[in-house]
Amino acid sequence: MKPPPFTHHACRSVEEALGLLDADPDGSKVISGGQSLVPMMNLRLASPAHLVDLNPIPGLNGIDVGRGTLTLGATARQHAVERSADVTAAAPLLTAALAHVGHPQIRNRGTVVGSICHADPAAEMPAVFLTLGGEVTAQSAAGTRSIAAEDFFDSYLTTALEPNEIATAVTFNTPNGSSGWHFEEVTRRHGDFAIIGVVALLTLADGRISDARLTIFGGAATPVRLPAVEQLLVGVAAGDVDADLLAQAAREASAALRPGDDIHASGDYRRHVAGVLTARGIRTSLERASARA
Amino acid sequence: MSETIIESHLAIRKDKWIGKPTKRVEDPRYLTGTARYVADLELPRMLHAVYVRSPHPHARILSVDTSVLPGLGKSVWVFTGQDLRDVPPLIDHVALDNLLRTPQNVIAIDKVRFVGDAVAVVVAGDRYAAEDAAEQLSAAVEYEVLPPVPSVEAANAPGAALLFDDLGTNEIYRQTEKHGDTEKAFAAADRVFTTRFHHNRYGAAPMETRGVLANYERSEQQLTVWSSTQMPHFLRSVIAGQLGLPEHRVRVIAPEVGGGFGQKMCTSPEEIAIPFIALQLGRPVKWIEDRHEHLLAATQAKEEFINLEVAVSNEGKLLGVRGEFIGDGGGYSFNTESALIEPALAAKSFPGPYRIEAFDEEVAASLTNKSPVAAYRGVGWTAANTVREIMIDEIARELGIDPVEIRRRNMLRSDELPYRSVTGQLYDSGSYLESLELAMKTVDYDAFRTMQERLREQGRYLGLGISSYVEQTAWGSDSSAQAGTPLPSHDNSTVTVDPSGTVTVAVSTSCHGQGHETSYAQIAADGLGVDMADVKVVFGDTLTSPYGLGTYASRSAVIGGATVARASADVREQILKVAANMLEANPDDLVIEDGTISVAGTPSVSKTLAEVAYAAYWDSEVRSDEPMLTSTRFYDPPATYANGCVVVLAEVDADTGVVTLDRIVAIEDCGTVINPMIVEAQVQGAIVQGIGGALFEQFVYGDDGQPLTTTYMDYLIPTSTDVPPIEVLSLESPSPFSIGGIKGMGEGGQIAAPAAVANAVADALAPFGARVRKLPLAPDYVLRLMGKIGSPNG
Ligand SMILES: Cc1cc2nc3c(=O)[nH]c(=O)nc-3n(C[C@H](O)[C@H](O)[C@H](O)COP(=O)(O)OP(=O)(O)OC[C@H]3O[C@@H](n4cnc5c(N)ncnc54)[C@H](O)[C@@H]3O)c2cc1C
Repeated sequence: MKPPPFTHHACRSVEEALGLLDADPDGSKVISGGQSLVPMMNLRLASPAHLVDLNPIPGLNGIDVGRGTLTLGATARQHAVERSADVTAAAPLLTAALAHVGHPQIRNRGTVVGSICHADPAAEMPAVFLTLGGEVTAQSAAGTRSIAAEDFFDSYLTTALEPNEIATAVTFNTPNGSSGWHFEEVTRRHGDFAIIGVVALLTLADGRISDARLTIFGGAATPVRLPAVEQLLVGVAAGDVDADLLAQAAREASAALRPGDDIHASGDYRRHVAGVLTARGIRTSLERASARA
Repeated sequence: MSETIIESHLAIRKDKWIGKPTKRVEDPRYLTGTARYVADLELPRMLHAVYVRSPHPHARILSVDTSVLPGLGKSVWVFTGQDLRDVPPLIDHVALDNLLRTPQNVIAIDKVRFVGDAVAVVVAGDRYAAEDAAEQLSAAVEYEVLPPVPSVEAANAPGAALLFDDLGTNEIYRQTEKHGDTEKAFAAADRVFTTRFHHNRYGAAPMETRGVLANYERSEQQLTVWSSTQMPHFLRSVIAGQLGLPEHRVRVIAPEVGGGFGQKMCTSPEEIAIPFIALQLGRPVKWIEDRHEHLLAATQAKEEFINLEVAVSNEGKLLGVRGEFIGDGGGYSFNTESALIEPALAAKSFPGPYRIEAFDEEVAASLTNKSPVAAYRGVGWTAANTVREIMIDEIARELGIDPVEIRRRNMLRSDELPYRSVTGQLYDSGSYLESLELAMKTVDYDAFRTMQERLREQGRYLGLGISSYVEQTAWGSDSSAQAGTPLPSHDNSTVTVDPSGTVTVAVSTSCHGQGHETSYAQIAADGLGVDMADVKVVFGDTLTSPYGLGTYASRSAVIGGATVARASADVREQILKVAANMLEANPDDLVIEDGTISVAGTPSVSKTLAEVAYAAYWDSEVRSDEPMLTSTRFYDPPATYANGCVVVLAEVDADTGVVTLDRIVAIEDCGTVINPMIVEAQVQGAIVQGIGGALFEQFVYGDDGQPLTTTYMDYLIPTSTDVPPIEVLSLESPSPFSIGGIKGMGEGGQIAAPAAVANAVADALAPFGARVRKLPLAPDYVLRLMGKIGSPNG
């Protein structure tokens, strides 16, 4: 459980980090919280020659709530985000989801941006990001670009980031006042990655569902939105969401997924429970939205 | 005042300390990080060893090309099986003629038999360099891959590959034994119930993995081995034998040991290989197992298949049982009691606290290409208890009898004890029914049933699971014979009072977290009449402790406790003799209390223990012919049986299959209680491990024999958030057979908890007709049991 030799670069600026990455994009890895990367190095599943450490860079750990957005810097710790009253006010869904990321010790080091870049399909943060929507600020020596949430996740542990790019920040869209949310995951134990999970966000306008966003995680190679379910809901009066509609939504959710088996659960289980959680997500989100409306 | 208990020849002095929940004297160093484990030890010129282990479940080793390593013989050294070919292989010690043996070379020579089997050891100046070299060498081993044997079924299929060609079979044991008249029982039965149960393969997860440091001092011709072991003296004997050294030239030290749970019993191959390498290199060599390695290469436990037929009357009386117990032994029938450790012990303990008078047992074990199965808290007994208690609940449900009531109808009453079970286990004393009744009273059984009914109407599924148990303890010659795997036993303690009057207790049992320093100090303090603070307990070093087998199988309190009590009684007499000379009194008229010796009834005529001890050593006027205040005593106890009952209250989410444990009540009866706080914690710890087995833990292997649970992300041990409050209540039925009435304890929780959890889930899901046939109860399996997805066998 010792990593092979590597060079550690304690960067003082984003430019320095970008320069190092550019010099050897394939032999280098960005490290932020290290909570996913270091275990992989210890198991010798990853063996970067250069570790480009963002932690010493001043000012990269911002937590900024703007009008309709929340921007987290690359080194903002999960714990700091979880404890921020501003974040809870702007995006209670994010706060609730963070409590499910590993354990307090992990969250003391791990970063939200790092989790999104790591792109584990069973992780909580990527699913929350996809549900809320927003963008990743990707910088390279060549310049800066924005990548929308829906374009970010390519596959298992793979994103739209180039090897020479750093996600210096992630901006989440924060929901408006008439929305309600639900976060739920099934794990074998508290703090584990999800076997299957749901993130739901419903917005009401004039008593009808004006926007529906539902994401399942742990059911595919990336977190996935459920467009069929969302279409089913948009335009429906809150009072008309009955058991039949929920059952139909559950069926649509299950049908949208082709999850595989692993040692924690079968694909059948994941498909079945994705439906269960989708129905719960809709019900609870509506209750929350109605209570606020 | 002192109180004498039990018949005089078994009596021990019980005064201020025995029975008191004193804080554990060892905890400050555990809790402040000052305890020192093998990994903490550093010696000058020490080298670090890392293993190259087989990536294949079954393969022939064709070649190991060590030339790929730069610095070979200068900064890096390699040892393969060929280099250790003169070291005899490890073989189990079970005294059964028809058990086939599977000699295990401490590093594989021609063949590897599980992923993780040792292929070579790489040694270098630091751990990083050793791991780099091991990675390089791993790529330079050439194998001929053989067909894998991933399961018992595969092992016995026609044409299966053989793990040991010369045995001609993978099934190394099969034996039938009949107890009582099952023919008659089945002929008389109203109903016969059958089950096929697969008990999961899970294992010990000690906080400290295994580790060995060995050093050979040429000047002294002395090999010293520090190992995270439960059995230092036994290991010394084995190392001396395997390496051909005179035993007095070998010293084994178990420094602080961070948990063992049976896994650190007997001999790990690494405990022979590392000392051998240290001898060869003439430098200290340290090997510390990392967690990934531990999950591959350390022994695993508990996997077996149990097939039952149970004959019952319509009233729910258990008339007779036919049982087949098949162990999945893994790649070697390991030297901890062989591959029979699971199935043989399960069979013999099957009757538990019930009056089962006819029982046919068929015990078998097969080799498979998986990590070897060895001891883990509750060996065999867990599986037997699990399947028996699940079966009793199912029978009750089928016959429309309450699960408490069916147990009442079959359980042995305390006035029927001593009772020899149909398999020959002599239950000394106990409170089987009383434990059950106390548990039901504590959980308010009737109120629970009312609530359960009400909540079911709201779509909530609550369940209550009962698991009663008898725990075989006091593992000496008698106990091991009653268990079905006979082994001789030998243990001693030495109690010494030094010239200043303080006390050293040297024991042959070897603590690895259980609190022996506290419990034995309590016994010695009462035995001598001194303050606990004046007693120091030493163990774990063959140079300073008397010979003995160490700590496993709930033996230490009974054996170590008795030897300490006996030796203390001797020393007390020695002290009183000297004091009598000093006080010009009759020794019989003297008492020792709080370290002061006085004439009974005349406290003013007294001497402190320090004064007496000083005189005993130095004052030729009063000292005796053998002035040293010391005694060494031996004990090989009769078997004793603890008992109890675990009740679990749980709720099942019927949509997701997630099981939530709400409350656990445990009744424990381990005879004379030395320290109630330690007993309570042992029960809780064991129950947590049982919860692991019931809900989370399983070593999973693919059909290709590859292990799939090689990190703690996949091998799931319960954490604090998965464990509900556990209330422990005590009953005390002292053993009429053992010194002081002490029984062993500590395994009952793990023996009983899996069935209690399984029964709670089955009870919750009774409307769905759920029948638990394997563990763990992962959400996927729970939905299958309810018929919500696929089939329960999927
Ligand atoms: C015991 C344990 C339990 C855990 N449980 C969970 C859990 O339940 N749910 C969960 O989601 N996670 C869990 N984690 C993982 C944890 O949340 C990680 O912190 C997170 O996944 C990665 O964040 P990090 O800052 O630690 O990233 P690092 O480990 O530093 O990096 C992860 C990857 O992302 C890349 N990366 C990181 N930051 C950037 C950046 N700014 N730009 C470009 N690339 C970047 C790295 O190069 C690396 O490939 C657990 C971890 C542990 C050790």
